[in-house]
Formats: sequence, structure tokens, C-alpha cells
Amino acid sequence: MEMMIKILSALTNVVIVLAVAPLIEGIMRKITARIQSRQGPPILQPYYDLMKLLIKEDIESGESPSMQRFSAIMAFASALTVVALLPLGFGYGLSSHTDIILTIYLLTFCGVCTLIAGLAAGSTYSLVGISREMMLMIPLEPILAVALIIAATNSGSFKLDAVLNGSIYNSPGIFPISSIIILVIILASFQAYAQRVPFDISEAETEIMDGPLVEYSGPKLALFKYSRMIRLVIYCALFIGLFVPWGSNLMFPFGFLIFWFKVLLLVLLVTVVAATHARYRIDQAINYFAIMLLVSFFALALASIGL
Amino acid sequence: MNEGEIIKYLRNRFGNKIRRTDICRDRRFYINVDSDCLKDVCKVIFRDLDARFITSIGVDERQYNGGFLVAHNFAFDSWKLLCSLQTNVDGDSPSVQSITDIVPASNWAEREFRDLLGIEPVGHIYPKRLVLPDGWPDGVYPLRKDFPYDSVPEGFDENRSFKFDDAPPGCVVVPFGPFHPTLDEPAHFRLYVEGEMVRGCEYRGFMAHRGIEKLGESVLTYNEIPMAAERICGICGCVHNVAYAQAVENAVGIMPPPRSEYIRTVMLELERLHSHLLWVGLACHISGFDTLFMHCFRIREPVMWIAEKISGNRKTYALCLIGGVRWDITEELNQELREVIGKLETSWREVVKAVEKDSNLQKRTRGVGIADKKLVKESALLGPVARAAGVPIDSRRDHPYAAYNRVEFDVVVSDFCDVWGRLIVRMYEVFESIKIIRQCLQKIEPGSIQAIITDEIPVGRFGMSSVEAPRGECHHFVITGENNRPRRWRVRAPTYQNLQGVPTMIKDQQLADMTLALASIDPCFSCTDRLETVDIKTGKVRVYSAKELETLFLWR
Repeated sequence: MEMMIKILSALTNVVIVLAVAPLIEGIMRKITARIQSRQGPPILQPYYDLMKLLIKEDIESGESPSMQRFSAIMAFASALTVVALLPLGFGYGLSSHTDIILTIYLLTFCGVCTLIAGLAAGSTYSLVGISREMMLMIPLEPILAVALIIAATNSGSFKLDAVLNGSIYNSPGIFPISSIIILVIILASFQAYAQRVPFDISEAETEIMDGPLVEYSGPKLALFKYSRMIRLVIYCALFIGLFVPWGSNLMFPFGFLIFWFKVLLLVLLVTVVAATHARYRIDQAINYFAIMLLVSFFALALASIGL
Repeated sequence: MNEGEIIKYLRNRFGNKIRRTDICRDRRFYINVDSDCLKDVCKVIFRDLDARFITSIGVDERQYNGGFLVAHNFAFDSWKLLCSLQTNVDGDSPSVQSITDIVPASNWAEREFRDLLGIEPVGHIYPKRLVLPDGWPDGVYPLRKDFPYDSVPEGFDENRSFKFDDAPPGCVVVPFGPFHPTLDEPAHFRLYVEGEMVRGCEYRGFMAHRGIEKLGESVLTYNEIPMAAERICGICGCVHNVAYAQAVENAVGIMPPPRSEYIRTVMLELERLHSHLLWVGLACHISGFDTLFMHCFRIREPVMWIAEKISGNRKTYALCLIGGVRWDITEELNQELREVIGKLETSWREVVKAVEKDSNLQKRTRGVGIADKKLVKESALLGPVARAAGVPIDSRRDHPYAAYNRVEFDVVVSDFCDVWGRLIVRMYEVFESIKIIRQCLQKIEPGSIQAIITDEIPVGRFGMSSVEAPRGECHHFVITGENNRPRRWRVRAPTYQNLQGVPTMIKDQQLADMTLALASIDPCFSCTDRLETVDIKTGKVRVYSAKELETLFLWR
């Protein structure tokens, strides 16, 4: 029975995220428009966009159509799998049956699907796009891993429910220096996880015309867009679970509301930063993340000696 | 030096090889030399006297004297002089010494008269087809007088493709254009990319060459050409309109009334305002800073509205006729314009403050698209690109026209040599434009706006006019002719020169900076090479191919 409830909660997670992710996108677009003194599209516009794309003809353009279809579906599926595992405001669901290794693996796989998508399309722009995406993944994935590992060290378990409940601050030392450092680093890199300006380099519409996705249209593009929206929710949920989990576990309506309120705040932050910055060049971004990565390793070293 | 001293200097050096000289009004002069010493004279003018190359012009004069005329126009900016160095070329097998090894900036201009008139520049450094379409047969020259303006030559081969150079070893070819989100008009750059670094590029443009010069020389009349000239450019049309009218006025000595000169100045500056605001917005958009892009466009909109109120159009003002203007600025409009530019100034100050503080934007634009003083001289770069390299050239001050000699303004110069410098120059030029408009509105004199022209326009006179477009100097050259139309009308838009500097500017730069570097010259290609019709009743869209268009319009 208990297992049934857990599986049910995982499924509910998936349904809720599928329903809410486009709404978050819509809110971001509306806020961006307001910052730019525009009217902006209706808040429900992303739903219309997705629906329109989903009912369009599935055009096979690019070099290996079967690989392209595969990567679109896998990107979407792996994002949804992560969603099923994460705690999203009511209990821990399946997260007590999984660990951070699987989470990192699935998140990376979602990124790899974008690479496959670009590679399979075979256009010059998508190749430039995936080479940028790859360069960004190299420092970004380890930074996230370091954050999760510090939390695991401090909680003494790799289990996701143990890691995502604020245990990152439970260091044996007096003050959790390493946790604070990694908090700052993740915050400073959050735009990159959200794939927004100034770190939307791999898509850079004005330079390489959406990079890996340049050859995509119709349902496949819809799946990529959808999984991108879902990834934003995933990273928000991870951030909240790791660093600000308080309140999310309250009784049903309260915990749930508090959780999504926090997601909304994070999204607001992402939107404002995106609207007030210019895009970095890939070498500038790599330099930036190289420093972040070094500092995060330093934090890991501190954590390993119990600070 | 003045005109006389320069001519004396050249006579001392070349003696009888200088055939004829002619000093005209408005500090312009013409030198006709023997064709065998053309290159040497160019060398003296370009290197020793440090003139700026403007453009080269070929003219078919076979029906008058059995030959062609080749002119190289130069500007002596510090002495405020414009000079046209001309030579007569044999009519049967026209060829002329190429000056590209001395004046690299003449690369395109010489290839253009080679393509269009068949005058062979002997010793050209890169003699490749430039203007004509790929399928155009060899040996047919459309700008010659015996070529009808509305014919398609025999042997036009649609399937012939352009032969590009080989990419350097180790490089991948990244095609950029003809259609790209940041390229609003068709132009093709073949980028040679190694990793993320651009190692070189080849340019193929002129995809929408409309033959406006040919039209002006064979169909339109003196007072119709300004309206066609305006349609050369999608954003700085008024510049061409004024430049053409001034070239004709300069050729035949018509004095437009002072009030019309003030109105021309105001409209030109309004155009500069909206063009610069647009450019700053686009630069932000390209570097991913969409918020500022939106704000720039919001600030720009009232300028378009007031232009519409004055001329009836947001952009295509249809302003000039020979000897005057068509629209008056009434007292009411004068007041309103003052209010508009007052508001514009306040909001623009905020934008400038925001941009100057933005370290993120500086990171993207500093050191990108370097064009230093040397490149400016060699490729004859113009406008904000030259001024951002510390070369203080500005036709408004150096070759004053309209009412610019009656207003005070500064020439904004910066020493950064990069995109950031161009951004700074353009942003501050907006304030100078506002200053100029204010002074004009204050000083504008009552009176007529159109000179009365009673006599026919005399034949065979030369006229030159340089107008400072938002992108740099726009040069028009006119030879008056019969049938109420010019015999030759040559337009040199600023992008013609600036684009030639782009391959050097983007070399050894990141691919990501390519769009920004290209956009920093504010390129202005031309459009319309297809036609689309929509049947309003059925909403059915039909797109015509090039072939169908030919049969549609060339049925005769």
C-alpha cells in the first residue's frame, strides 16, 4: 500500500509538471515583456505554441531522421523520469528509492540527447551549437555533482530523500562553510542550468540560429521545447531541495503551495537576470565556469575535512 | 593646400600628362590625365597628398567621343576638397591601369566597371566577378549605352554557379547568409572557420542588384530620380535623395533657397536619429540584450511619427526635387518637433547611462571587429567605423552642404577601434543630431522652399555631392545629359566601402563575434529579388520564381 502511494505520488509529480511547466514559461515571457515595456503574449501562450507544434506535420529534415526522433523522445522521457523521482511539495515520493548518482546520470543523459539531436541533424549551425553545448556541460555537470556530493557527505547517505532535505548544512564543523560556498556557486551558475541569457550560448539565435535545434520543427521541436521547460522546473526543485527545503514538507496544501512559491521566486530571479544581461561568448563563459569549478572543488575539499 | 596649389603640384610632377583641369564651385575640381600615368597620379594623390579614396566610375561616352571615361574620385578632407581624377579610354578594347595595388579600397569599384561596362582594369589584384549574377554571359555589359535597360541577354545560364575560392587547409566552411536572422538583407559570407575562430571569408553580394543607375540613365527624368534614389536604401533613403539633388545642383549651379536647405538638414538629422537608435537596438539584440533593444525601439517610434507628420511617410520622405524640397515645416510642426526631440534627449540619456555602466555588454564588444587607422586608410572606411578608429572625418563638416555650415556641432571621435567604440560614437552622435535640429528649427528662415528653374539643364556638366549618411559618407556623381535625364549617375553608398573592410575585421576572431562585427558597420544591402502576390479575395498566395517574373515583365 505504501509503495502504491509512492508510485501514485510520482505519477502525480509527472502530471503536475507537465501541466505547470508551460505556465512557468508563460509567466517568464510576460515578466520579460513587462521589463521591456511591451504588452507581451498571453500567459497561456506556451500551451498554444506546444499544441500547435504537436499537431503539425512531422517533417523529416536532417541526416538521420530515426536518430532525431529517438533523441527528441529520449530528451523528453529522461526529463520526465527525473521529475518522477524528485520531491515536489508533497512528501518524498520515490526519492527514498533512488540516489543522486541516478539523478545526475539522467540529467546528463537529457543533455546528451540534445547533442545527439544536433549531431543527427548534421547542419553546420547545429554542429557549432553542440560543440558549445558540450563545452558548457564539461564544467556544469561537475559543479552540480559537487553540490550533491557535499550534501551526501553531510547527510551520510546517497539517497535522494536524505540529500534533498537541507542536510547540506549539517556539517560536523561549527559553521557549514563549504555549503555556503557551493550555494553561492550554484546561484551564480543558475542561468546556465536554466539555459537563459547570458548563458544560452549553445542556442544563440542571433549567432547560430538555435544551434542544435535549427533543423527541428513540429512535434519533435515541441518535445525539445517541453523538455527544456521541464528541465527548468527540475533545476529549481533540485536547488530548493538542496538549499531551501524548509516548509515543503508541511501538510498537503501548505507544503505544496510553499514549494511552488519558491519555484516562482527562482523563476523571477532567472527572468530578471536574463532580461538585464547580454549573452557571453563561449570562451568568456568557459573561463567563468572554470573558476566556479575550481572554487567548488575547494568547497568539496573543505567538506571532506568536515568544514 | 587649395585646388590651384594641388593642380600646380601635380603639373610640376607630371607636366603635359595632365591634360585638362577644371576648378568648379563648392570646392570641387576635375583633373583629366593621360591614361598611362593614371596610376602614378593616383599614387601621388593617395599616398603623398594623403587623400581619401571615394570611388571609381566608368562612363560609356562612345556616342560622343568614341571612348570610355574612367574617373577615380578622391576627397581631401582636411582641405575640404573633392577631386575627380579622370582619364579617357579607348572605345574598342577598353582597358585601364588598375590602381588596386596602390589604393586597395578601389577593389570593388574597379570590378564594378569591369562587370558593367567591360573596361578591363589591367593588373587588378582580385579580378573576380562582383556585381553581375552567376548566370550572366561573358562579354555582355549592361551599363553600356547600347544595352537596352529592359532586356535579358542571350545565353543567360540559370544553372551556372559561382566559383568560390578554396578554403584554407584545416578550415571548415560555415555559410553565413544569404538568409540569416541577423542579416536583414541577402548577402552571402563563406566563413572559413577553425574551431570557433574565423580564419577568413569570401563575400558574394549584389544578389538584389536592381540596376537603379541604369534606370536613372535611360528611363527616369531629373525630378523622378530623387524618388527612385530614395528607394536605394531601406533606412537612409533621404540621404540618397538629397545627395542626388545636390549633385545635379552642383553640376549646373542651381542654388536652393535657404529655407529648403534648413529643411533638408532637419530631415537628414531625423533620419540619422532613427537610424542610430535602430542600430544601438540591433547591436544589443545581437549580443542577446533584448531589453535594451525593445527600449531603443520604443524611444525611436516618436521620431518616425513626427517624420510621418512632416512628409506623410515614416521613412520614405520623398523630400527633394532639383533646387528645393517638397514639404515645409510649419510653425506648428516646428513646435511639435522640438517637444519630440526634447523627450528623446531625456530618455536617450538614460539609455546611454545604462549602456556605459554595463560591463557585460562591454565584455562582448571590446576588442571585437578591430578596424584601426591603417585599415581605415587602405579600405577607405567611412562614418562611425572611421570615427571610432580616431579618424575625424565627417562630410557634414569637411564638405558642408545644406545648412551644415550654419550650425554648430562636434564630430564624435573615439579611439577604441572596436565595436564598443562604434557604439559610443553612434550613441553620442544622437545628441549632436538633436543639437543640429534644435539650431535649425531656431534659425530657419522664412521664404520659398523651391528655386524657380526656367532654363533647361545644360548638357555634359559634372557634379559631385557627398552627404554624411548615418553609416558614413554617401557619394553621388552626376554627368548631365540629354532628354531631361543625366547621362551618368553613379551612387556610392557608405556600406560599399565599409563592407570591404569586414573580412579583415572578422579575421582571427570568434565565430560568435562575427555577427556583431558585421553589424557594427551597420550594413545596408538591398532587397527585393522575388515578388509575392496575394489574392485578397481568396487569400491565395502565389510566389513567382525568377523565370516566371521575367516572362511576366519582359513580355515584349
